[in-house]
Amino acid sequence: MGIRQTLENIEPHFHKGGKYEKFYPLFEAVDTIFYTPPSVAKTTAHVRDGIDLKRIMITVWLCTFPAMLFGMWNAGWQANLAIADGFSAMGGWREAIVMTLAGGHDPGSLWANFVLGATYFLPIYLVTFVVGGFWEVLFAIKRGHEVNEGFFVTSVLYALILPATIPLWQVALGITFGVVIGKEIFGGTGKNFLNPALTGRAFLYFAYPAQISGDAVWVAADGFTGATPLSTAFQSGMSVLSEQYSWWDAFLGFIPGSVGETSTLAILIGAVVLLWTKIASWRIMLGTFLGMVATSALFNLIGSDTNPMFAMSWYWHLVVGGFAFGMVFMATDPVSASMTNPGRLIFGALIGVMTVLIRVVNPAFPEGIMLAILFANLFAPLIDHFFVQANIKRRMQRTGVPAEETA
Amino acid sequence: MSAPTPKGVLTTPIFKNNPIALQILGICSALAVTSSMSVSLVMSLAVIFVTAFSNLFVSLIRNHIPSSIRIIVQMTIIASLVIVVDQILKAYAYEMSKQLSVFVGLIITNCIVMGRAEGFAMTNTPGLSFLDGIGNGLGYGFILMTVGFVRELLGSGSVFGVTVLETVQNGGWYVPNGLLLLPPSAFFIIGLIIWVLRAVNPEQVEENEFQMKENTQPKEAV
Amino acid sequence: MAQSNNSIKKILTVAFALCIVCSIIVSTAAVALRSKQQLNQELDRKTNILAVAGLYETGTDVEVAFQEITPRVVDLRTGEYTDQFDAEQYDSFQAAKDPAQSRTLSGEKDIAGLSRQENYSTVYLVGDPDDPEQVILPIRGQGLWGLMRGYLAVQGDGNTIEGITFYSHSETPGLGGEVDNPRWKAQWEGKQIFAEGDDVQPDIALVKGGASAETEVDALSGASLTSKGVTNLLRFWLSPEGFGEYLARFRSGVAQDEAQGAATDLDETEGA
Repeated sequence: MGIRQTLENIEPHFHKGGKYEKFYPLFEAVDTIFYTPPSVAKTTAHVRDGIDLKRIMITVWLCTFPAMLFGMWNAGWQANLAIADGFSAMGGWREAIVMTLAGGHDPGSLWANFVLGATYFLPIYLVTFVVGGFWEVLFAIKRGHEVNEGFFVTSVLYALILPATIPLWQVALGITFGVVIGKEIFGGTGKNFLNPALTGRAFLYFAYPAQISGDAVWVAADGFTGATPLSTAFQSGMSVLSEQYSWWDAFLGFIPGSVGETSTLAILIGAVVLLWTKIASWRIMLGTFLGMVATSALFNLIGSDTNPMFAMSWYWHLVVGGFAFGMVFMATDPVSASMTNPGRLIFGALIGVMTVLIRVVNPAFPEGIMLAILFANLFAPLIDHFFVQANIKRRMQRTGVPAEETA
Repeated sequence: MSAPTPKGVLTTPIFKNNPIALQILGICSALAVTSSMSVSLVMSLAVIFVTAFSNLFVSLIRNHIPSSIRIIVQMTIIASLVIVVDQILKAYAYEMSKQLSVFVGLIITNCIVMGRAEGFAMTNTPGLSFLDGIGNGLGYGFILMTVGFVRELLGSGSVFGVTVLETVQNGGWYVPNGLLLLPPSAFFIIGLIIWVLRAVNPEQVEENEFQMKENTQPKEAV
Repeated sequence: MAQSNNSIKKILTVAFALCIVCSIIVSTAAVALRSKQQLNQELDRKTNILAVAGLYETGTDVEVAFQEITPRVVDLRTGEYTDQFDAEQYDSFQAAKDPAQSRTLSGEKDIAGLSRQENYSTVYLVGDPDDPEQVILPIRGQGLWGLMRGYLAVQGDGNTIEGITFYSHSETPGLGGEVDNPRWKAQWEGKQIFAEGDDVQPDIALVKGGASAETEVDALSGASLTSKGVTNLLRFWLSPEGFGEYLARFRSGVAQDEAQGAATDLDETEGA
């Protein structure tokens, strides 16, 4: 096998004393992409399984594909619709590519929409990958550990929650902040208590709110203004929103928004795979969902004359904004979520409640899922602590071993 | 600890034993007033003044302060100095005092001032205490000015109010970073400063509070 | 030494002496500097007023420039001047808190989110008080995070805006906080409060994505709620609920005529 041979040939250079000793993490990363890692568990307790962190991460990565592919098409479709309405195209190198590959801005053409969307999404993803990867490798080399595959997932999730029209330098800044401040400062994957992708997005949200708050919309046509469904609901009320888009539009994803989060259906396809392979915790998803339903039902009951968001029902909360995406891909991040099973339910519920609270009550932020998940991330260790302690106590009672002298 | 020297008490608090970066004191005002450099500067000067003189006065009467009411005595001295500073700012630097608003008054609760009065001035001579106050004020000011520089430059595109990077709002090219205009951004910047300081002076790194347990030793399964 | 320091007598002596010394220092500072501080506050207010009228540049002598300006107290309900109060001293913010001098606002009427509004307010006339070049109106209302306070300068025709300024607000820096950006404020000059043919309900508004009409001003980018707040507070203060009656008189020239005669009798009834 060519690849195996090449890898083995160059391997000695990366070992201790070799020419490229410092770059061993890079070599290791490439090696394990193609082959199962050579190292095995050394202690007595281990499970034989073909799954390792890299396989898990790649599964998650693949699960985002429905949302990603649909998102690219939708970004293009939204833009082409606006262009068909008389707005001019953005121009520049993107336009050149679209013209070469698709030959026009026909919103009826699947291909033209897809190409246009791809010229926006792929550069975002590329920049995320290169810049984020740079930090990842830099820290890996400096600290002498292996490059962690979690970054695969972080980068794709981060790229998917950005609006298509975001300037690429902001993409670079955001992922830098997410990887360095959100993760590496605390010791890298496994020790980060915040979700790095969301940390990066939150940074952009507060640093460049004019471009990213969803107020002036993210459609790639020159001079187009409008608002995301959430902003519309927030400013003008539910009736205006439901005139603009039907619930099915929002569920299927024919609405403007961040690349990956518009289609609830595409996200749910990913969710099914994640749940079936048991990679994501169903408890977190369920908790989030129930928390959201309960809180929005409560607000529906209370009602308000001045705040139209009170009237938004749970099935709308589910399909607009980033709720579905956050619930499926962000909240279930194995590192920053709760680890105990009952804790996961609570953790999820906290996210659901906070999301609706921020969406409805906070006057400044139309979207709440991002902040809600980051907020719940902070509480995850505390939630776990209580359940672990409770468990210890229960076991004490059962086994009759006297509790340690604590008080 | 060896006997403090005048040079030592003046310079060590700036990098080696910085009140903000190492002792993590006086953070709240560092968050609140650092969105522009000129405000940071005035705040730094006010704190230097208050720390130096409260140290001096506390040290002068240290042999007469009954230990049962010493904290109250220190507070009274500090509070009086702060009120005087506040009044002076209102009279001679009105614009500044408007921007600093309550934060001048809150110097009273700044742990650095109190900490130095209790920790140093109560046991040292007036001259040394005065220098120590200036030194700690400078350490505070150093962090404030650094944070203020980063926040004002990247947040508003200017330094001391002079435009360096022309912002988009004013027809330039620089898109200002809104996060840096918000107080929490100072957390990140102070954190990064601490990171740099501890990378340069590894002895500042704190000991681990606990040790991770070694993995179980590999042995043949039976 | 340590022992004697902790005796009751010593404690009391030290505490007492310290209190005396400190209170003397603090009160000296406060008293000696008070006049200077009040001057500063006054100067600050006058600078804001001059700035909105376009009469202030760095280095302007505020006191000299302010002689151009005559403060007058206006009865908001009738739109007439009153001499019931000393215009230099009258504080409309205080009045708004006093139930005897204010009224409650609620529901539909309270679009600026004030909940109480004073009955009398101070306006500043620029130039000859009988035929002013501009009139400066104090305005305030809820933004996104809190009350925004400012001044609006209207030209002698009672319809064209000369300038606007907000001297105190708590909007998000960089977004709503841009209400004090000079570039944004500059586009207000020459805008009309009322559209053609309707001079009761003000039409001035902040609009997104390029102001086209005479009564439209560009909204603040990324700050729809602050922009909404500005629109609402202007609509409130320029409507008959606010300075509308006064502006109507001002336009027709009635207010100017009455200025000399300064209504003496109509205010006696309002005191109770």
